[in-house]
Amino acid sequence: MSKDAPVISLRNVSKSFQGRPVIENVSLDIFPGETFVIMGCSGSGKSTLLRLMNGAIQPDKGSVLIKGKDIYNMPGEELEELKKTFGMLFQYSALLDSLTVEENVALPLREHTKLAEEIISIIIKLKLSLVGLRGYEKHYPSQISGGMKKRVGLARAIALDPEIVFYDEPTSGLDPVVGGVIDKLVKDLSTKLLITSVVVTHDMQSVFNIADRIAMVHKGKVVALGTKEEIKNSSNEYIQQFIRGNPEGPIDFFKEDIGVIEAFSA
Amino acid sequence: MISYIGKIAIEYFRWIVGLFRLFFDILYWLIFGPFKGKPAHRQGIFSQMVFVGVRSALIVFFVDIFTGIVLAMQIAYQLEKMGAVLYVASIVAISLCRELSPVLTGLVVAGRAGSSIAAELGSMKVTEQIEALDTMAINPTRFLAVPRFLALLVMLPALTILGNISGILGGFLVGTGNLNINPDLYMQTSFKHLELKDIYTGLIKAAVFGIIIALVGCYEGLNTKGGAEGVGRATTRSVVISFILIILADCIITSIFYFSKI
Repeated sequence: MSKDAPVISLRNVSKSFQGRPVIENVSLDIFPGETFVIMGCSGSGKSTLLRLMNGAIQPDKGSVLIKGKDIYNMPGEELEELKKTFGMLFQYSALLDSLTVEENVALPLREHTKLAEEIISIIIKLKLSLVGLRGYEKHYPSQISGGMKKRVGLARAIALDPEIVFYDEPTSGLDPVVGGVIDKLVKDLSTKLLITSVVVTHDMQSVFNIADRIAMVHKGKVVALGTKEEIKNSSNEYIQQFIRGNPEGPIDFFKEDIGVIEAFSA
Repeated sequence: MISYIGKIAIEYFRWIVGLFRLFFDILYWLIFGPFKGKPAHRQGIFSQMVFVGVRSALIVFFVDIFTGIVLAMQIAYQLEKMGAVLYVASIVAISLCRELSPVLTGLVVAGRAGSSIAAELGSMKVTEQIEALDTMAINPTRFLAVPRFLALLVMLPALTILGNISGILGGFLVGTGNLNINPDLYMQTSFKHLELKDIYTGLIKAAVFGIIIALVGCYEGLNTKGGAEGVGRATTRSVVISFILIILADCIITSIFYFSKI
């Protein structure tokens, strides 16, 4: 796998919000077809890392390369084109409230392709059956449960057959069974459709279900990086504390997050 | 103290720059969108027009008919002393068309539609829906602001025409019912002094107010920060700011017309 050129690479990326560093000098390579999990406590900067990769926020220093091209150093239109090859599943699904399930999934297709409505409706059926939600086409997001919204969000994320899918906390706030369903979907997508997946999560069960490789982020820095087995058997005290959920350890909850959390909500 | 004033000044400046940026962004998408194969959504525009225009029609009708009635009575109270009660008709018609109907319609729509635009876009912002559009490479300005802008630009003059008619009707009710003016004579007097320019200056005002409401509502909505409280704040701000800007714009436009003798 590592023989391939990386599809996403971060080179010495730093980002701060209102003077507070959130990401400090991070370099990462993510390879085609792998499921790369970024884990860390809330406020550790992992969601920011994801947004740096998908073109939502510009780094202060360093560069983000997708397929070898610096995405923050290209014309806006090229970035827009590139974004069409991304899919993103949001923490709270971020479905458009004013559109039905069907229209939500169809939105990227209607916006970015010239496909006939008949074809679009076939694609919608296909994507919705992939996430097990046939029969809910005419429902509005407010009429379905949180887990179903996540699945609709996933169907929307893969509507344009993306090459890279970003997942922001795909299983948070879901019951373990639905969480397991989402995990299975994530895994299926990467093995069956060869999609590169970047997953941000702090759900340990989910991490070991889906990950090929894992990066542990703490205070805006990557403190550990390795394959699932390496991380599982690592003696790194950050990882051990995180996996066990131990309040004592190098991750000092009381000193740590406050500043970063403020920077996020501001 | 000085740094505090400076901070506020910078904030206002930023706000104004942001508003103009949104305005030019909307114009850009209006003009160049169709050439890029991305025209504004017809369905979106129509549904916004229905929301902004058709659903505001009843309230505009009531506001203006009562204004017409009140106006006719207040003017009659003065004119009766001079024995010139008949002129109630033309004064009501002119003051409504030139001034009251556009302003009242603007205020009503700012309170009704402007606030709901800010609330809707604001809650979309805080629930990541705007960011979702962005990551799907769908420009939020084109997708959300342009249809609302067009709808308000078209519907505000339309509502103003409705307001003109209902206001004149209100004056007519007082004039014929209370002041015993012959109905035919009342209508004749209404339109004798009413010129086309009185109507179109009112409609120009209305269009400007429509632009103000759309810009402020969209800007406040798209720049909402901080959860449910932020949405509430954006909604309130959109109404307050729209009200102030509408009156300010009314003052400016009226003086332009007045000094250039239109």
